[in-house]
Amino acid sequence: MRTPAVLLAVAVGVVLADSSVVTIALPDILARYHVEISTLAWVLTAFNLALALSALPAAFLARRRPVPVFGGGVLVFSAASLLCGFAPSFGVLVAGRAVQGVAGAAVVCAALDLLSQAARTEARAARVWALAGIVGAALGPAVGGILTQLLGWESIFFVQAPVVLLALVALRGAYTVPVPEPAGRPHIGANAALLLISGGLVAALFLLVILLINGWRLDPLQAGLAVTVMPLAAIAAARFGRTIMPLWVRATSGVLLIAGGLAALGWLPHAGAAWTFPPQLLIGAGLGFALSALTERALAGRSAQAVHGGWTIAARHAGVVLGLLLLTPIFTHDLHKSEHEVLASGTAAILDSRIPPLDKIAVARHIAGAVDDAKQQARIPNVSEVVGKHDGSGYADLISHLQDQLDRAVTQAFSHSFLVAALLSLTALVPILLSRREVSL
Amino acid sequence: MRTIVAAAAASLLLIVVYLALGGASYAPARVADPCAVRGWSNPQGLQQTVEQIVLSGLDGAACKLHVSREDMVLAFASRDALSRFAHQHHVSTQQVDELVRAGLLRSIDDAENAGAFNSTIAHLLGGFVRRFPIEQLISLLQQLPGL
Repeated sequence: MRTPAVLLAVAVGVVLADSSVVTIALPDILARYHVEISTLAWVLTAFNLALALSALPAAFLARRRPVPVFGGGVLVFSAASLLCGFAPSFGVLVAGRAVQGVAGAAVVCAALDLLSQAARTEARAARVWALAGIVGAALGPAVGGILTQLLGWESIFFVQAPVVLLALVALRGAYTVPVPEPAGRPHIGANAALLLISGGLVAALFLLVILLINGWRLDPLQAGLAVTVMPLAAIAAARFGRTIMPLWVRATSGVLLIAGGLAALGWLPHAGAAWTFPPQLLIGAGLGFALSALTERALAGRSAQAVHGGWTIAARHAGVVLGLLLLTPIFTHDLHKSEHEVLASGTAAILDSRIPPLDKIAVARHIAGAVDDAKQQARIPNVSEVVGKHDGSGYADLISHLQDQLDRAVTQAFSHSFLVAALLSLTALVPILLSRREVSL
Repeated sequence: MRTIVAAAAASLLLIVVYLALGGASYAPARVADPCAVRGWSNPQGLQQTVEQIVLSGLDGAACKLHVSREDMVLAFASRDALSRFAHQHHVSTQQVDELVRAGLLRSIDDAENAGAFNSTIAHLLGGFVRRFPIEQLISLLQQLPGL
């Protein structure tokens, strides 16, 4: 692939990675700005909502003047990234994220038009653009985790600014193609399916990361590495799945894999990152199949690629917002319920333990206090630290029993959200199957 | 079509394996019913005897309030927790105290009848329970590590 095409693809990947890149950094952002957990979700929602709402206007602009739209988008996106990194307050951070979303829409939509020149054919441009979007979305949590652990969460924004700016080099020699005729009707089936799949993927890209870090106490680097299974599978599937035709077969297979992987995450038999690897493999492969097939289908045979690309971006990110709106209340309700269950089962474990009877009162009080503190910090307490250092096998058994009860409660708290996400993804089969005869590919 | 069948099979296989390994039942243990009869085991020493009396007493109060014994323990974790608990169950903190006290006195009788200690100790323990608020009794117990 030629250098301009690579730079444009990287810019698209970085922008779309922004959808999920700060997920791992959420606990650190919470600690920095001391906001309510429900307010914290705006760091994710602001970007996705702004991107979804501005994708179509940006696409229509990009169709007429792709070079200035891309250039302007890159500059504003980089400036907004720096603003996020230096944000003195939570409000400024959310505003910066919204600006990133608007500018990101311009970058992504104009890049599709410019890729048609760089990659020589529209079909090839669409494939590269779709692959960049898949890799970006899937790699987001992993890259965010690694950067947060090594350099702090602000580095996520400082790193992406120069990387996106580099794409300006791709504008050398780029030109504006005259617009022939009005853009045609979007492919309803493909875009509706993209919306529903993206809603389900919220669980894999956001909730899984929260489970690993806030639930099972992995540090951001470990969590970042643990979720690399999904992007690797997505890249492999998008690359090797190209031969699977017709496109609706590839998309249907992808949806089944995503739904299966999400359902398996809802029925995890034990706590531990390794148990998430097989579901991640399915979800990653499904993501590679479904998103590539549906994006190609939404663009195939349609004039004004930027406009139809804009429709896919609007659909995907509206899906992310839908997923956040649908899954967040389920997740928070289950988390609250599991808090009571773990307190009760933990207290039962203390009462039934072999530690000295009078110590049980003190340990039960420490646990109750630690759970109260954990609610403020949005992080599960460390059982060993709460129980304290004591000699005797009774304490070792108690710590192990309490940890087991905690792991069970936390894992269960995410279960319904993953299962609902699986169902949401599965509903994407309806538009895919209904529209399978619309375009013979 | 073979791809669709393969994808469906891979998904179903993983789901079946996870369910077979206990995926549907991986949840915190359920707490015991406080109204169910718990036998009086033979405690070793005074500490374990007092522990059984306290637990049995909490069971009695929990059964009356339709909550678990563990909820009762957590209610006495702090003054705030007790107020929250009383508010949630539409009773006063004094009523919670009285229920626990009644449960403790009944379990002291049970222990005496089971031969865990003689009537003098039963009388002494009963006096403590009648005299002090439950919160103070807990603090008192914690200050007596050599009990």
